[in-house]
Amino acid sequence: MVHKVLAEQVAGGMNTTAIRIRESGIERRARFRGLAEPLSLLAALVVLIGVFSLFNERFLTASNLQNVLTQSAIPLIVAVGATLVILLGSIDLSVEGVMGATGMTWILLSANSRGGADLGPWAWVIALGVALVLGVASGLIFTALKVPSFIVTLGMWYIGLGIATMLYGTDLLPRLEDEALSGWTSRITLGLPNSFWVALLVIGLGILVLRSTRIGRVTLAIGNSETIVRSAGLPAFRVKVAVFAIAAVLSGLGGILATVQLDIGSPTVGSGVLFIVIPAVVIGGTHLGGGKGGILRTVLGVFLLTILNNGLILSGVESSYQSAVTGVILVAAIVFAAWSQRDRLRVAK
Amino acid sequence: MTTTPAVLHLDAVSKSFGSNHAVRGVSLSIRSGEVIGLIGENGAGKSTLLKILSGNYRHDEGTIAVNGREVQFRGPADALRAGIGVVHQEQSLFTNLTVAENIEVNTPIGRGGINRLGLYNWRRLYADAAKALDLIGSHLNPRTRVSDLSFVDRQMVEIARAIRVSASSDTTPLVILDEPTAILERTETEILEREISKLRNIGSVIFVSHRLDEVMRICDRVVVMRDGELIADRRVDDVTEDELFRLMVGRETHAAVQSRRSIEPASSPVISIHDITKAGAYADVSINAYPGRILAILGTSGSGRESVARAIFGAESFDSGSISIAGYSGRHLSIKKAVALGVGYVPAERKTEGMVGEMPADQNIALTHPGSAVIGPFELPRRRLALARMWFEKLDIRPREPEHMLQDFSGGNQQKVVLAKWLNSSQLKALVLDHPLRGLDPGAGETVKAQIRSVCDDGTAVILIPDTIEEALDIADDIVVMRDGRISGVYDLGHDNPATLDLLERML
Repeated sequence: MVHKVLAEQVAGGMNTTAIRIRESGIERRARFRGLAEPLSLLAALVVLIGVFSLFNERFLTASNLQNVLTQSAIPLIVAVGATLVILLGSIDLSVEGVMGATGMTWILLSANSRGGADLGPWAWVIALGVALVLGVASGLIFTALKVPSFIVTLGMWYIGLGIATMLYGTDLLPRLEDEALSGWTSRITLGLPNSFWVALLVIGLGILVLRSTRIGRVTLAIGNSETIVRSAGLPAFRVKVAVFAIAAVLSGLGGILATVQLDIGSPTVGSGVLFIVIPAVVIGGTHLGGGKGGILRTVLGVFLLTILNNGLILSGVESSYQSAVTGVILVAAIVFAAWSQRDRLRVAK
Repeated sequence: MTTTPAVLHLDAVSKSFGSNHAVRGVSLSIRSGEVIGLIGENGAGKSTLLKILSGNYRHDEGTIAVNGREVQFRGPADALRAGIGVVHQEQSLFTNLTVAENIEVNTPIGRGGINRLGLYNWRRLYADAAKALDLIGSHLNPRTRVSDLSFVDRQMVEIARAIRVSASSDTTPLVILDEPTAILERTETEILEREISKLRNIGSVIFVSHRLDEVMRICDRVVVMRDGELIADRRVDDVTEDELFRLMVGRETHAAVQSRRSIEPASSPVISIHDITKAGAYADVSINAYPGRILAILGTSGSGRESVARAIFGAESFDSGSISIAGYSGRHLSIKKAVALGVGYVPAERKTEGMVGEMPADQNIALTHPGSAVIGPFELPRRRLALARMWFEKLDIRPREPEHMLQDFSGGNQQKVVLAKWLNSSQLKALVLDHPLRGLDPGAGETVKAQIRSVCDDGTAVILIPDTIEEALDIADDIVVMRDGRISGVYDLGHDNPATLDLLERML
């Protein structure tokens, strides 16, 4: 008996050491895995830039790079919000609708060719307020009524588009008549386009929210397990609504900037943005199931897609082929990104 | 008797769901520094009682007082504030976050590592978490991600969190541990037991477990629940393990260990594994499983025994060697093929791999081998229900309501349903059981064990990954011991009589 107890104690000690040694190995490998993904993305970006600059000498010029940054600015702003939503394990498809509604509201309240009131900065506040209302509505319906975010935001896309179309009415296009704002987005300040500066600010704030605030941390926790969040007494409800609100406001900001860039108000100002944003988040390595990922990775994803798009145009790929080519590359990239995320029975949902 | 008010005092607390009285008039008092064992069979009302204490359920009647003050918990946050931290049976850590964040998850804004603006001060957060870990004697790195931790370390993190949460209130913390050792290997359990014993220096503990020996070792007092009522409250010095067992199940004593009349190995094995190797998991493993015999594979958590078991079922691939099942042999075994050949598998991860919780129990039973419950592509619900009733009766699955969602059954009864799913096959040749008794109470464990024996006697080969050496010695005909991915010992219990110590030595 004494014998047995003794042996088990010795066994316990030995086993613990064995476990510890194995664990430090696992830890090292885990850290490597965490780094390997963004690094491979960065490598892909470098390769892509290399290939395009071989094909076309105009690609690696300052003006084209500034062009790429301008192009990427709006998707970047929207993608920060989309990353937060996807980290929850949800999805926001309303992006383009919210962009349209916000853009139209903003231009009709600013100096434009249709006349009307020029509210100046209040136009921004009211327009972003519209985005906020749409976002809170999505968030509340999703959270309180427990409707899948996919469906709620799909509906909200069309509601936004509907609001924009109503505002648009049957009149002539509202053209922006503000000297200072016309072309502001692509104007260069300190070597970078203005809209890109805005994107940098949003990215910075996004990272701060995700890394260092309760909203950000609970978002990651919900993505891991909402059941645990609730049983830990954390504010799951409020955080979910807040994240949808943040995402919609960022979409709205994107909508206003897109309107400035276009110089005219259009309900379809956000057309095509969703197709860059969601794949960019996924290619960046943020899990669609939630809980894992980050904003910097999404930034890499957006760059990858914008450069791909820009490079294909410059390399003279016929526009009729372009969407097919982009689609193929997207699917391939996502298969690659999702490979490591399969579970041990290789179940995908 | 001390005069200080009890840390926690329950007076005639009741809770019912519809007509089911889950908890009936439970009164209980816990003083500071006491470790209380709470035992009872699955479905005895332990979980419900714990959920009331953790604020997840609201009780219908009775009063709960913390430090002499009556409390009403409206949610988990209230219970935390009152100083009650719970380590749930299911792991409740965010695996994607660091150890520190999991421990500090309930830190209110303006305290600890979170400033008044709600911004996190990570350095402070890591330091606080390290302090909480230190308090329970753990030296985990707070910056490690939880997904990279072993189970025993995860339990330590859970305990640290429970302590941290309750220590932030002004009362003595009360930590509730709901079967913290159920999913651990034996050696890991001992580490945890040692840590739990230390907790009495910090606060009080309610320790829920199925393992009576463990309760006797750790606790000062044991309370027993049966059918929703608290039927006994004893000091461990005044009670024996057998007495507790009797109180718990309401039966006389442990079911007598049946003496096995081992069937001599038949001429040909049902499953023959020849020199299979998987890089990083196991190497050169050869095992033969014969009809009518139970083969137990022993080993520690790094031995690779689980991987071998999963390979037999086609759930994991291997690099070289061969597995032949009932005459079929091929390198590329899939689950589909294994099932078609008559292999059944009861996984350790019951909730995620063994059952469909959101499906009624009867449909779960008829999932893989529907037998008479289908004709061609058509399902026959009435026959399926009859089939399920038969299994419910045979395996004593309670409550006898096969049309209820499987997730609403208790763990032991879920396990029986999973077993029934495979037993329903008319051509079951081999059954692979990965920790089949994990998390089951002794009563349910006995039934499952008896069922495994009877399946085996019907000529099925059973390959078992047991929780303990005792379980293997109790039930198996053959024992294979694995160490670091290689076989380190083979015993035929018909001829050999290995001591626990021998087996242990070969495991380590």
